[in-house]
Amino acid sequence: MKRVLKHFMMVLSSVLVVGGGPSAASAEEKLVVSTWGGSFRDLIDESIAKKFTAETGVKVEYVTGGTMDRLNQAKLAAGKPESDITFTTAHVGWLYANDNLFEKLDLSKIPNAAHLVEQAKISPYHIGAWAYVYTIGYLPDQLPKGVSFDSWEGLWNPALKGMISSPDFDPSHVIAVAAKLSGADAAHWEAGKDKLKALKPNYKAFYTNDANSQQMFATGETPVQVVLSMNAYYMRDQGVPIKLVIPKEGAVLGVDTMGITKGTTKADLAYKFLNIALDPAVQAQIADLKKGSPVVDNAKLLPEVAALPGVFTTPDQWAHQTLIIDHKLRAEKTAEWRKWFAENMMAP
Amino acid sequence: MTKRPFLGWFVSPAGLVALGLTAAMAAVFQFSMRAYIPGSLEVGGFTLQNFAALVRPLYALAFWNTILLCFETAAFTLILAYPLAYALVRTRSSAVRSFILIAAVTPLFLGEVVRTYSWMIVLGNNGFLNTLLVKLGLVARPVQMMFTSGGVIAALVHVTMPIMVIMLAAGLSHIDRNCEKAAESLGAGPVRVFLTITLPLSMPGIVAGFSTAFAWTFSAFATPQLIGGGRVSTVSTLIYQLGFSSFNFPFAASLSIVGLALSLAVIALLKQATRPLERLASAT
Repeated sequence: MKRVLKHFMMVLSSVLVVGGGPSAASAEEKLVVSTWGGSFRDLIDESIAKKFTAETGVKVEYVTGGTMDRLNQAKLAAGKPESDITFTTAHVGWLYANDNLFEKLDLSKIPNAAHLVEQAKISPYHIGAWAYVYTIGYLPDQLPKGVSFDSWEGLWNPALKGMISSPDFDPSHVIAVAAKLSGADAAHWEAGKDKLKALKPNYKAFYTNDANSQQMFATGETPVQVVLSMNAYYMRDQGVPIKLVIPKEGAVLGVDTMGITKGTTKADLAYKFLNIALDPAVQAQIADLKKGSPVVDNAKLLPEVAALPGVFTTPDQWAHQTLIIDHKLRAEKTAEWRKWFAENMMAP
Repeated sequence: MTKRPFLGWFVSPAGLVALGLTAAMAAVFQFSMRAYIPGSLEVGGFTLQNFAALVRPLYALAFWNTILLCFETAAFTLILAYPLAYALVRTRSSAVRSFILIAAVTPLFLGEVVRTYSWMIVLGNNGFLNTLLVKLGLVARPVQMMFTSGGVIAALVHVTMPIMVIMLAAGLSHIDRNCEKAAESLGAGPVRVFLTITLPLSMPGIVAGFSTAFAWTFSAFATPQLIGGGRVSTVSTLIYQLGFSSFNFPFAASLSIVGLALSLAVIALLKQATRPLERLASAT
């Protein structure tokens, strides 16, 4: 038994040494960014990181993963963060802030933040990097006659029975819309419960991620979706003839944000990175590459990009084409909304 | 006493893994008994409220759906895999044996997500199956297969098929062919030989394959999530939604604990129920 225990301790220490030993590369100066993988990582790399490395000589490395995976990682690594900057959604950013995982931002160190639109100033801890909307997207050739989406009411048209889908991971968009159509707002979402239940027959399915949404559009399974604008434009570029509309009540605004991870030893570099992210030319590039809306008021976009629904370039568009759910409220209410939605809308 | 000089080296890695798993399970267990605080990652004090909430119709239905899905998947897999395993073991042609083995095992080399996306292409309204049915004039309009339990089961059968074939083949290959020959020499026809000798003697393989398919299906996530399209709720999809969409980790943890307990209980019951059949196999 003693011998087994001795071997056990040797194996354990070997694992710890191999897994936890410092690598040679760690000596080189670098800035670590926590972000989603795939096209979002590429977007940050091509637009912000490229300019950052050119100006500072510091390389950018990435920790990638899903929104919640990275949040959990950050919590486990609290005090000794694995990244210096974190990209996440506005409402999940509040979870970081509430759990003391973000540094309080000193906007005087981010000169470009002077042009930040009000809707992108999320909290003293995180600010917008780009914006998007969740709105109605549809395949025109599969839309029944007489259906129009000038208003969100169009989604309730009985002709759309068994034709629509929306995300299963976040029902806040339709909950906010139903509340608005019922004369209330997201804080008083209960007013829209009956309205929501009336939408149930029109649902065919619920998509689980952007790829799943793409698949449901591409196969025509759900020709009408409450869809992420950036994802819809990606699909359109791939040849899926999606049309996106901004209903008169506005499209549900989403903001992807950035914050400086608490405990970073490279705060100065992190501030430089954030400033470059808000550079008007970089913001225009983000809009061009991924069709994300700029979050500063001085970005000069290509006319064809500026004309896209969900890309906002004027104060009037920000004010009248967006339906905003308070991000902090959303962080607090998501579980309650999700539970109600699962029990009343998704359940057979 | 026999010396076993390498015992320590062999046991240590397994012990390390077991230690890690035990610690993880303990963490999940303690999470399941903590209160959820909206808008925060921190959990509150100890409570049993998470377990009490599991009796709500949505969650009770998810448990029932999952068990039903597991039984149906395991049963259909068994029905489809048995002839394949039988042919694999009994064929005299090595080429046929190789072909069956490759056909049966290939799905194991594809990831669950790839397999699931393939099935989405097959089952969709404009997919392979519906196009074929419409072109052959068997149906006037596409049959809804996506977002249904039937669609989920079809894909899950494909996922569990390789392991079932391997387990059944192992069981069938251990049957003493002299028993079958003895029955034949006493005048039993092929059907009677199969029903009274081969089938009972292959019971250990059937039980092992069925239990494994059941347990595998219980933990399946990508297939019910993507093919179910939110319309087929299972324990694993609910755990994902509660934890990763709603940030309600305590409730997700309680669902995991009860799911694990239920899965173990059903497999134990299954084992108990099939014991007489296994005993019959040993006696034959």
